[in-house]
Amino acid sequence: MKMPSLRRDLLHIAAFTAAVALVGVFARSGVVLNFTMMALYACLMAQAWNLLGGYGGQFSFGHALFFGTGAYVQAIAQLGAGLNPWLALPLAVLAAAAAGLGVGALSFRWGLKGSYFALVTLAFAEVARILALSVDFTGGGVGLMVPLRTGAAHLQFAGRGGYVLLMLGLVVLALLATCWLRHSRFGARLQAVRDNEDAARAVGVDPLRVKLGAIGLSAGFMGAAGAFYVQVFQYIDPAIAYGPHTSVEALVAAIVGGLGTLWGPVLGALALHLLADLTRNLFGQLPGINMVIYGAVLILIVMFAPRGVMGLGQSARALWERRRG
Amino acid sequence: MSTPHNNRRRFIVQAGAAASALALPLVSGAQPRTVKVGVLHPVTGALAYSGQQCREGALMAIEDINQAGGIKSLGGARIEALLGDAQSTPAAGTAEIEKMNEAGVSAVVGAFASAICLATTQAAAKYNLPHVVDVGVADQIVERGLKNTFRFGPGYRKCAEIAMANLQVLNTSAGKPARSVMIVHEESLFGTGTAQLLSRELPGYGYEIKEVVKHANPTRDFNNIVLRMKAVNPDIVIPANYYNEYALLVRTMQQQKVTPKAVYSVLGGAASSYKFIKEFPQAANGIIDCNHWFNPKDRRSAALRKRAEAKGLFFSYELFMTYTAMQLLADAIERARSADRAAILAALESSTFSDHLMPYGPTRFVNGQNTGAQPLMTQVIKDDIRVIIPREYREAEPVFPLKA
Repeated sequence: MKMPSLRRDLLHIAAFTAAVALVGVFARSGVVLNFTMMALYACLMAQAWNLLGGYGGQFSFGHALFFGTGAYVQAIAQLGAGLNPWLALPLAVLAAAAAGLGVGALSFRWGLKGSYFALVTLAFAEVARILALSVDFTGGGVGLMVPLRTGAAHLQFAGRGGYVLLMLGLVVLALLATCWLRHSRFGARLQAVRDNEDAARAVGVDPLRVKLGAIGLSAGFMGAAGAFYVQVFQYIDPAIAYGPHTSVEALVAAIVGGLGTLWGPVLGALALHLLADLTRNLFGQLPGINMVIYGAVLILIVMFAPRGVMGLGQSARALWERRRG
Repeated sequence: MSTPHNNRRRFIVQAGAAASALALPLVSGAQPRTVKVGVLHPVTGALAYSGQQCREGALMAIEDINQAGGIKSLGGARIEALLGDAQSTPAAGTAEIEKMNEAGVSAVVGAFASAICLATTQAAAKYNLPHVVDVGVADQIVERGLKNTFRFGPGYRKCAEIAMANLQVLNTSAGKPARSVMIVHEESLFGTGTAQLLSRELPGYGYEIKEVVKHANPTRDFNNIVLRMKAVNPDIVIPANYYNEYALLVRTMQQQKVTPKAVYSVLGGAASSYKFIKEFPQAANGIIDCNHWFNPKDRRSAALRKRAEAKGLFFSYELFMTYTAMQLLADAIERARSADRAAILAALESSTFSDHLMPYGPTRFVNGQNTGAQPLMTQVIKDDIRVIIPREYREAEPVFPLKA
């Protein structure tokens, strides 16, 4: 298998950044900007999940835990401590990463893998949801509402263009982190653990340390997505923060796009958002039909493209090269 | 053989036909144009039933307005609905606002749930797009200083305050038989907010809050909660939850033979629902609710109910709240004499809309909230929902307490 080239990856990331930045700066259509913003938001969550699930082979069903932690820290830092949202953002990322390390330490130390790990992460997210409903500082079921203060200084932009650029910055950071995983020694260790943990241990890799690093990184990006959600929609409650839909959105986009690849989560998030938008626009007058079509196409993708959209692309390319001789 | 007389006649006929043909575009141009209005509700997802009821209410109002001659100050312009589905999430609601803005709507009516309204009103504010909130009861929706947001109905603080004051009136006039309360609420914004407000304020009226029990959505078994209720034995049970859980709670109370002196709800999910009365008449009997309700003395409300039922719909609060919210908007467009957003906003701000079937009187907006809006107190009596308070809308004397 051909090794990915670092230079080529960085060039692709630069091209992607330039293309999306152009949309953010020059697009005037609110529909286009909102679509780009939400697609990037889904990209960030999918890429965050991919860092642990795709490269680390640890399938989490509870990434909402990190999303919600980031979201609540972002909101509480502003409401409780009066912190500027720009300063709250790194705090939210750190808190989510710490939550990731906590969950990782508890589950990896006890050797939880596969479906057991998936279930325990799901359980952690659910526990967090119930806790958020019960304690005062999260506002309980009433939730928290950050004040509406439009202006870049308050991390609330008047138009969607500002949010597109902010989200693009976060996605580029996630892409660079993925790129680093693909080319670094740490990434090689992580992929070795994913492929065969015992063999990796035999050659001196510490699986616990490697997996903790991956979950911390993954959770940090998920926390950034949560903080972004709070800034855009200004309201968070336990169901939005820790509900299972966020975990599902992250993992489905990564799986549909292609696990353990740089561009798979980006393509997956983009394809799913396009599909959702198209079906909503075409069949929006018939309630529910868009969901049925969306579900059917999703099933077809999973059935006929088990390696995701990236795998489909690679197969098509191989076929093309074979035909050309 | 043609004569000069025939030629002249043919010329006149042909010239007339040509003139008519030439004038046709002018005539068509004079036809009333349309005013596009966004109708945004969660018609899929967890809130689909309520969203669909809201959409039906909006479409019925538009049908009535158009049949009555459209917007007369705009030459009989018809209202054209641009339907949007918020899919029960703030994010999808916001995306629909962007779409509606680009489709050139003059205003938006929606979006039922408070969390969705918070997002859609703000998204619409960017474009100075008037947003009439139909149901969303969270008071923060109209407390953020958004100049484009108008709510015709009351918020939940007002509903809870009126409910508490009326409970005191009922209890005092019955010789104060009720002294203790148990609140059973769902866990999200509506239920928790209501429960917090009630448990903070009711002790000031002399009630002891014996228990506040929270439950998840959905909850399919209320046996344990009702067993607890049996042990606590409160005089009044206050449920604050959505339809399914409300119905299940009250049915379980009936099964376990728990009969407090009153089941008294604030914005109760089922107590003011004809669906509930039809499906569970015995369980519903005697329940008192403080909720959005129409003026029962206005003949139009009975006619609208008949129309809704003829379409196979229940005449629920979602339907008539959105119906009247759309009428409020149409009235503003009429007075604005323009489909321009700024003109409609100005007309909404100074609205004195009174030709409606709600018990509000003329509209008076302060910071986007109709200060004249009020809920009514209803009670299920003889398999029907009757207004008991205030007196000017009363259809039946209140039955309080239910048991001696």
